[in-house]
Amino acid sequence: MFSEFKKRLADVFGATTPAVWVLLALSIGAGAIVLPRSSSRKAGMKLWLFNKGHQQVYATVANDWNREQPTPATKVTTLLIDGPALERRLLSGFMSGTPVADLVETERSVGAKTFTGPVEDIGFVDITDRLRQEGLLDAINGPSFAPWTSRGRIFGIPHDVHPVLLVYRSDIIEAAGIDLTKVETWAEFFDALRPLMVDEDGDGRPERYPLNFWASQIQLLEQLLLQADGTLFDAQGRPHLDSERNAYVLATLATWCGGPRRVVVDAAEFTAPGNTLKLRGTVLASLMPDWLGGIWKSDMPGLSGKLKLMPLPAWEKGGRRTSVIGGTMLGIPKTTRDFEAAWAFAKKLYLDREMHARFFAKTTIIPPVKASWSHPGFSAPDPYFSGQVSGQLFISQAGNVPSRTSSPYSDMAVSRLSDVLIALVDRVNQEQISDPAALLPDARERLAQAQLQMKTLIERNVFLRDDAAPVTKAAGAASAP
Amino acid sequence: MSEVASSSVPAPAANPVVPQGRYRAEPRWVPWVFLAPFLLTFGVFLVWPLMQSVLLAFQQTFGPKTSAWVGLANFNFMFHDPLFWKAVGNTAGFAAGAVCFQLPLSLGLALLLNRPGLKGRAFFRMIFFAPSLVGLVFVGLLFGLMFAPRTGLVNTTLHGLFPAFDPEFPWLQLYILPALIFAALWLYVGFNMIYFLAALQNVPEELMEASALDGAGPWHRFRHIVLPEILPVATFVVLMSLLGSLQLFELPFVLLNGTAGPDNRGLTIVMYLYNTGFVSGDLGYASAIGWVLALFMGAFALGQRWFSKHQEES
Repeated sequence: MFSEFKKRLADVFGATTPAVWVLLALSIGAGAIVLPRSSSRKAGMKLWLFNKGHQQVYATVANDWNREQPTPATKVTTLLIDGPALERRLLSGFMSGTPVADLVETERSVGAKTFTGPVEDIGFVDITDRLRQEGLLDAINGPSFAPWTSRGRIFGIPHDVHPVLLVYRSDIIEAAGIDLTKVETWAEFFDALRPLMVDEDGDGRPERYPLNFWASQIQLLEQLLLQADGTLFDAQGRPHLDSERNAYVLATLATWCGGPRRVVVDAAEFTAPGNTLKLRGTVLASLMPDWLGGIWKSDMPGLSGKLKLMPLPAWEKGGRRTSVIGGTMLGIPKTTRDFEAAWAFAKKLYLDREMHARFFAKTTIIPPVKASWSHPGFSAPDPYFSGQVSGQLFISQAGNVPSRTSSPYSDMAVSRLSDVLIALVDRVNQEQISDPAALLPDARERLAQAQLQMKTLIERNVFLRDDAAPVTKAAGAASAP
Repeated sequence: MSEVASSSVPAPAANPVVPQGRYRAEPRWVPWVFLAPFLLTFGVFLVWPLMQSVLLAFQQTFGPKTSAWVGLANFNFMFHDPLFWKAVGNTAGFAAGAVCFQLPLSLGLALLLNRPGLKGRAFFRMIFFAPSLVGLVFVGLLFGLMFAPRTGLVNTTLHGLFPAFDPEFPWLQLYILPALIFAALWLYVGFNMIYFLAALQNVPEELMEASALDGAGPWHRFRHIVLPEILPVATFVVLMSLLGSLQLFELPFVLLNGTAGPDNRGLTIVMYLYNTGFVSGDLGYASAIGWVLALFMGAFALGQRWFSKHQEES
């Protein structure tokens, strides 16, 4: 019997090329090296994040935490992953039920994508009751929960508030003798700066524009729409684009972008041409969420001392002087092996007062925890903004930020509004319209079409419909701990 | 004689002699051992996903764990989806531009470089071919900067030459498709030129000389000798350009900063597929779009095959 087996083995060796055996030996060798490593990596908790600045600030907290942990199982390692890569890994993990990190810091648009399916299949742990039990719902700024709330349940601790102020070139504006401190509305703002829209080189076009905005800049459109209490969805999550308010906002913005009373220029953020226009002073003011302050400091240090912040001019006297954009949260995936440890670390990372001050010093982002706002770190003069106390300026508007939707269709809804705005701007340019009232009927008609498009799109999602089609679930779907 | 001959040939043995060592006949399963790595890879990474994607096109999913069978709803929605048709229109416009501008230019350059007396032919060939060595992503970034309002090379140059020209002219908002065609021209004209050049160098010299002796002018030589000779290559280049155009994604994606541009003027079929599947997470609908695109491309390939066969026969 053994001799027969030996003969067969010899046949196999004789019949196949040595390369097969070399490859086999290499595979076994590689496996032997990799397997023990991967098993040793499994010890401890992982935190995935997408921002290097965040990782640097969190390093001290993680080190302190790790020193206090008696076992390696609850020690934390941070892993920096590029934003799109983190999105892919997170969504793939949630969708297929494969493990992801124990804690994940993610940005608003990614968070919304995890809410597309049935609420019980959302990959993050529902922390609503835990927040309520520990009194965190009151301790944290209310509107900051909105992007992380789906169908009434909260799936992450908010990292920020992201109030929006107006940043302006104080060196140019004050040198011209213009005082913006008394400006209350957008109309007053443009009237005050219109004298600076001068054609200096004789080509028939002004060298300066009061505001950075363009119909295709959907982030700015969203900020201005939210500031004006425009609507994207109703309380039931149905699209609500076709409203009198939206029509008014879009018609007004169209006259900002074109026609005889154009007052804006396209100086998009994160682009070299956009930054050039800001450095040159072609654009005199921009909307500035708190997170953008840190980016400007890093990307345009040449503007240090030439800028000042002020609350956004309101749409009407007495109206809202701020808006909101972006957002980050810390979520605990259902696949975490130790929810309590992950929850304790999350609180240490996101609710610590000293941590908040350190974070603000590096990024100009203010925290959503109201008790931290009195920390002296938020009252230091900021040389970049001409010595203004930028922290308190942002904090003064934190309670007024508009509430937002966590709908995964939110970006699409704003895109549809942008399409409507572009069409209105084309009309403004063709007919040289300066009165927004003349555009209102057209705006309403286009908004109705956009709303119908959105409604059709959302109604396709059988997981969000009341009359949902029968859903098939494979075995082993992740469940809450 | 035949008997002698036949008797001298040994009769075939019932059991053929098996060569020893490396040259022994191998057991029947041995070929499968060699084929196994390919079959496994092919099956796992191609056949299985392909079959899954067919099923996916008839479902709405939230990952592999949750799905709902929706029948033809994805296809039905697609045929009534204005965004899909916008993407089809943009892609078709780009494909038409690619074929109508790229190919004549490529052929023209190849004809110029194929002239026998031309000095520095290798240098020019390299110069024209060089842009195709640059990746699509880089081209997208480069043209994004060139077409930027106020600060871009195109607007500053035009404004410098013609002061009445608006330095803020928004090329990438009003003329996305021409901008894409222009960028693709820069990238691919030299690449296609190489195909045409190779084909032109295979045109028999004696035919050209004979026709010249018979009094045929340059146009007649091109029309009746050069064109029929290079037609198979031209058909191939047309097909490749069409298929490449139908798959257009990276160039508009980078040029428009990951968006489809104002009013979706830069939305292509593959970009819509990507947005639907990986931004909106509607994998079922994305799969349906992918299959319709695959059918389009298959139809073009079959058309090319039929055309080539028809040409050969005629």
